[in-house]
Amino acid sequence: MTPPVHQGLARRDLLTTLLALTAGAALPTLVRAAEPAGAFADLDRDAVERIGKAWLEQNPGTSAKTLAMWLFPSGQTAGTLADLRRRATEDFRKGAVFIHRGWRLSQTEGALFGLLALGSQGGR
Amino acid sequence: MAFIDARTLPDASRIEADLIIVGGGMAGITLATELAGGPIKIAILEAGGREIDMENQALYVGSGVMRGPDNADRPFNDYPVQSRIRALGGSAHVWGGKCAPLDPADFTQRDWAPYSGWPMSRQQLQPFYDRACDLLGIPHFGPDTPVLQDPARRPLDLDPRDGFFPAPRYFSKISGGADKAAFDAFRTDFAEAPNITVYLYANVTQVRLDARNDKVEGLDLACLSGKRHTAKAKTYVLATGGIENVRLMLASNKVRPEGVGNHHDLVGRFFQGHVTYAMDGDAETEGSAINVARAESMALYVPPGRAQPHCVIGSSLSGQTRMKTGNFTLTLYNGGEPGSGTPTQAETRVIRQTATRVDGGKDEGQLLGCFAMTEQFPNPESRITLDMADVDPLGMPRIKLDWVYSRADWDSFERTAAAVGDALGASGQGRLCWPVERKDYVAICNASRHHMGTTRMHADPRQGVVDADCRVHDIANLYVAGSSVFPTSGIANPTLTLLALAIRLADHLKLEMGAAR
Ligand SMILES: Cc1cc2nc3c(=O)[nH]c(=O)nc-3n(C[C@H](O)[C@H](O)[C@H](O)COP(=O)(O)OP(=O)(O)OC[C@H]3O[C@@H](n4cnc5c(N)ncnc54)[C@H](O)[C@@H]3O)c2cc1C
Repeated sequence: MTPPVHQGLARRDLLTTLLALTAGAALPTLVRAAEPAGAFADLDRDAVERIGKAWLEQNPGTSAKTLAMWLFPSGQTAGTLADLRRRATEDFRKGAVFIHRGWRLSQTEGALFGLLALGSQGGR
Repeated sequence: MAFIDARTLPDASRIEADLIIVGGGMAGITLATELAGGPIKIAILEAGGREIDMENQALYVGSGVMRGPDNADRPFNDYPVQSRIRALGGSAHVWGGKCAPLDPADFTQRDWAPYSGWPMSRQQLQPFYDRACDLLGIPHFGPDTPVLQDPARRPLDLDPRDGFFPAPRYFSKISGGADKAAFDAFRTDFAEAPNITVYLYANVTQVRLDARNDKVEGLDLACLSGKRHTAKAKTYVLATGGIENVRLMLASNKVRPEGVGNHHDLVGRFFQGHVTYAMDGDAETEGSAINVARAESMALYVPPGRAQPHCVIGSSLSGQTRMKTGNFTLTLYNGGEPGSGTPTQAETRVIRQTATRVDGGKDEGQLLGCFAMTEQFPNPESRITLDMADVDPLGMPRIKLDWVYSRADWDSFERTAAAVGDALGASGQGRLCWPVERKDYVAICNASRHHMGTTRMHADPRQGVVDADCRVHDIANLYVAGSSVFPTSGIANPTLTLLALAIRLADHLKLEMGAAR
């Protein structure tokens, strides 16, 4: 995978992802997660798409499925935001950042925009 | 009250005192205030009158340039005349009154910061800081990491291990702009003491050394009216400001061609200033800003009115040590609201919403404008020299300022700006938007009027112009007061520190001149 894997994906996350890939039952969750993620569904889609594209340009070849697995290994649950927060903290602590027009965001947030952009493209 | 207009004295008058203070700005006045009413007979020789006048002010005209790697040179020709005031009270006629002590970190010798380290610690300067605060009518700053105690205004919840803390700033009313009556009292009341005489319109043009070059023998004075006088004392203090101290020392070259106190070619070198870096955003471009996730007021950092106590985000010694950086602050202000309608603004909104949700906040959080200040590392190539071909009406060569930043300055700045962004993000407090590019630093920076480092303090005469007592090395009876003695400049506005040093010098002179009670 692209930078989230190289820079940020912990071994545990990688294992979860691989397990999820081999377990057929996990697939529907992952596909659902590739659609605009619940907590962020109301965001301006054009803006999201532009930011997400910028992230995807820096991380070429990343698919929605891989991103969804990386961001939401257990699908979207009540703990998703807390999980994203924990990942963002880890990213910032190790300098895994995505800079968009000066905004210093975590790679997790960048990947989220990437996923939302891919989901939104698919939805059009 | 002894104020004498030097233009009214008979030509070639000779002024005599025990102690002569050259310059009646904050430094000179503080020194005299501390010695007022004592047995030392003091003369202050002040170039200006009571109020600002253009003929006097024009004596400050000079030239300048600011330079830095990867940046286009920026002419700074107006800076020498526009960044200080030549009148009784000096630049305090117009100063903002913002006060902060240097951090304990600023006094330390930091391996990654060449020429760093003061011959004293913050702890040792603390009692003088407290007295300086009393003089300026502001609360004391605690000795270690000072805090602004205000339960109603909570700081950002940054993890101290990341190296950032809320650093307080207070404002003094003793400023021509803030409270003219308080300023007038400050700059005139001390002269009611029977041991003090203030000479106005008395420009010192030459510090004369004796035949052995180890003592000041006297001073030459000139008035714009044409009169010339001399002055003689046992002890002399130059307190003409961070630029003019250099001009006077270098121009005093009748005995030694390199000037006074300049055996080791240090006078004028190591010029350090403070600049702020910020970008204003518009509909198409981002401005420098932070978006905080919390809904709670940010009044600790952005107080409701101007000139009110507040905090900036400061960088601690542990953070600087880890990052190998200089000091740094981020100041927040209301602004940066981008409005809506353009694609840029829509993206900003989406970023704010997303980050705020990830941080557990509501809606878009709060957007605040910000500017950064970063310590300029001492650099011998950053310097003031004299333009011998360009003299003022008194025959004094004008100054040339070559204000030079180094790659180390830019590197340190960028590392800290990134780190403060990471600290905000890691603690879930917000996100930083820093759209400034390295190639633009010189072009976009806004220069403060703080002039430091040019007669630096060091115990070793080969590394400093003055010793830890602010005495010029190898000249028994000459001292320097003011921010020119700072070896490093930190980030704090310099006046509180130069006052603390002036008070410390006053105590030293009392002892040395046998006036201690
Ligand atoms: C617009 C502005 C805003 C500022 N805001 C702040 C702030 O908020 N906080 C802060 O800490 N600092 C601030 N400063 C800087 C602050 O004003 C100075 O640090 C401080 O006033 C310096 O005091 P000084 O006595 O060392 O020098 P000066 O104020 O420069 O005083 C030197 C005195 O010497 C006299 N003199 C000069 N040459 C001669 C000569 N040859 N013979 C005899 N007399 C001479 C001058 O007339 C003057 O009175 C600001 C400055 C400006 C211009």
